[in-house]
Amino acid sequence: MNRGRELLVGLVIIISALTAVVGTLWLKGTNFGRPQTEVDVLLRGVGQLNRGNAVKYLGVGIGRVENITVDGVAVRVSLLLDQDMVLPPDPAVVLGPESLFGDWQAEIVSRIEFPRFPFYEVPPGEGPNVLGGYALPELSRLSASADLISENLADLTDRLGLAFNDSTATALASAIANLDTISLEIRALVAQQSAVAVSVTASADTALAEIEQASVVARRTFERIETILTDAQIDTIVANVRVASTGIQEIVTSLAESTGGIAATIKRADSTFARLDRISARIESGEGAIGRLLVDSTLAIRAEDVLAQIDKLLQDLRENPRKYVRLSIF
Amino acid sequence: MPYMVDATRAIGRTTLRTVAAVGRFGYLAVDAGRALRKGSLWAPHLVGQMAKIGVASVPIALFVALFTGVVLALQAAYTFTGAVPQYFVGTLVGKTMLLELGPVLTGLALSGRVGAAIAAEIGAMRVTEQIDALETLAYDPVAYLVVPRVIAGATMFPVVVILADALGISAGLGTAVLRLDMSAFEFLKGLRLFFESWDVWFSLIKSASFGLTVTSVGCFFGFHASGGAEGVGRATTRAVVVSTMIILALDAFWAATLLK
Repeated sequence: MNRGRELLVGLVIIISALTAVVGTLWLKGTNFGRPQTEVDVLLRGVGQLNRGNAVKYLGVGIGRVENITVDGVAVRVSLLLDQDMVLPPDPAVVLGPESLFGDWQAEIVSRIEFPRFPFYEVPPGEGPNVLGGYALPELSRLSASADLISENLADLTDRLGLAFNDSTATALASAIANLDTISLEIRALVAQQSAVAVSVTASADTALAEIEQASVVARRTFERIETILTDAQIDTIVANVRVASTGIQEIVTSLAESTGGIAATIKRADSTFARLDRISARIESGEGAIGRLLVDSTLAIRAEDVLAQIDKLLQDLRENPRKYVRLSIF
Repeated sequence: MPYMVDATRAIGRTTLRTVAAVGRFGYLAVDAGRALRKGSLWAPHLVGQMAKIGVASVPIALFVALFTGVVLALQAAYTFTGAVPQYFVGTLVGKTMLLELGPVLTGLALSGRVGAAIAAEIGAMRVTEQIDALETLAYDPVAYLVVPRVIAGATMFPVVVILADALGISAGLGTAVLRLDMSAFEFLKGLRLFFESWDVWFSLIKSASFGLTVTSVGCFFGFHASGGAEGVGRATTRAVVVSTMIILALDAFWAATLLK
C-alpha cells in the first residue's frame, strides 16, 4: 500500500515536471536537437523588440530573438535560426512591428532591397555572422513627426492668410483679367498662324507635285541610262573615244616635232643675223668694198639705200617668216 | 455612548486576538522550522501527506482548470470580436492561466479541500487530546503533524497547478478550434507570442506559497482548536476563510513584487 502510494506520488510529480519543462521549451520555440545557426546583429536601437520575438526571412518564421545586450554605443541582438541558413547577398536585418499590436520581429533582408535604410555599419573585426541592422521608427516617433508637420502646415497657412490680403486679391483679379486678354490675343494669333499654315500646306502640296514630276523625269532618265548601260552602247562610245584620243596623241606628237623644226630655223636665222652684224661692223670700219663705199659718200648714200632695203627685208622676214619659209606638216 | 464603548472594545479585542493569533502562528512557524531537523519523525509521513494533499487534489484542480480554460477562450473571443486578431485568444488564455487563474483557482479550491481537512483532522486530535498524548510520549507534535503536511503542501501545490495550467490551456485550445473556428496554429501563435519562461516560474512560486499558506493555516487553526466538535468546525471554517484571504493577498503581493 505504501509502495503504491509512493509510486503514485512520484508519477504525478514526474508528469507535472515533464509538462512544465517540455511545455516551456516548446512554447519558447526550442528545436529539440535540430541544427541551429546563431547570427548577431548590431544596431543603433531595437525599438520594441524583445527576447523571443520572431525572426523572419522572406516572410517565413525561421527563428527567434535569443538575446539583446548593449554593446558600446550599439545594441547587439542575438538571433537563433532554426536551420543552416544561406543568407541573401549583402544581408542585413530590419526590425519592425509584426502587427499593429505591439509585437515586433526581426527580418533578414538584402541591403539592395532597402537602399535608403541607414543600416549599422559592422566594424571590420566582427565575424561573418555579424550583420548590420536598422530598427524602423516607432509609432510614437512617427506621431511626433506628423505633429511637427501639422504645426509647420498651420504656420504656413497662417503666413498665407497674412500674405493674401485685399490688395493681393485685387492684383490677382487684375492678373486674371490680363490673362483673359492675353488668351484672346493668343487665340487670334493662333488663327492667323493656322491660316498661314494652310497656305504653306497648299504650297507644299504644289511643291510636292512638282517634285513628284521631277522624280518621274529623273526616273525615266535613270531608266535610259540603265538601258544604255545594259545595251553595251557605252562600250562602243568608250572604244570610239579611245580611238579618237589615240589620233589626237599622234597630232600632238607631230606638232611637237614641227615646233622643234621651227626652233632650228630660228637658230639658223640668228646665226645669219650675227654674221651680218659682223659684216656690217667691218663695213662701217671701212674694210672691204662695202666699207669703202661707206667712206665714199656717194657709194655710201647708195649703200645706205641698199641697207635700208635690207633692214626692211629682215624686218619683214622676222615678222612674216612664212613669206620666206615654207612649212609643210602633212 | 455605551455602544461606542462596546464598539471600541470590539475593535480592541479583535486586534488583540489577531495579534495574538499572529504571534501564536509565529511560534508555530518557528517550532516547525526547528522540527525540520527531526526528519525521522516527519519523513515517514511525507509521502502519505503528498498523496493526500497533492495526488488526491488533482481531479478537483483539473476540473476547475478545464472549465476555466473553456470560459477564458469563449470570453476572449467575445471580447476581441472585430477589433483584435483572433490569435490573441491564445495569448490571453495562456497568460491568464499561467499567471493568475491556474494558481489562484487551484489554491482556492484546495484551501477548501486540503485546508479544511487538515484543520479538521488536527483540530479533532487536539480536542480529543491526542496531541497532548503525543507530547506526553515525548513526540514532537509539530514535527509529527505539521511539518509533513506543510512540506507536502508546498511541494505538491506546484505539481497540481502545473497540471491544471496545462489542462486549462489545452481546454482553451480545444474550445478555440471546435467552437471559435480558429486553427490550432493561430491559437499557438498567440500563445507563443508573449510567452516567457518566467511565467511558468511565477506560477510555480505562487502555487508553492499558496500550498505553504493553506497547509500552515489549516495546521494552525487545527492545532489551536478548542471547544469540542463545535470548536473543530469553527477552526475548519476559519482555516478556509483565512487561507482564502491570505491567498488573495499573496496573489496581489507576488504580482506587485515579481511582475516588474
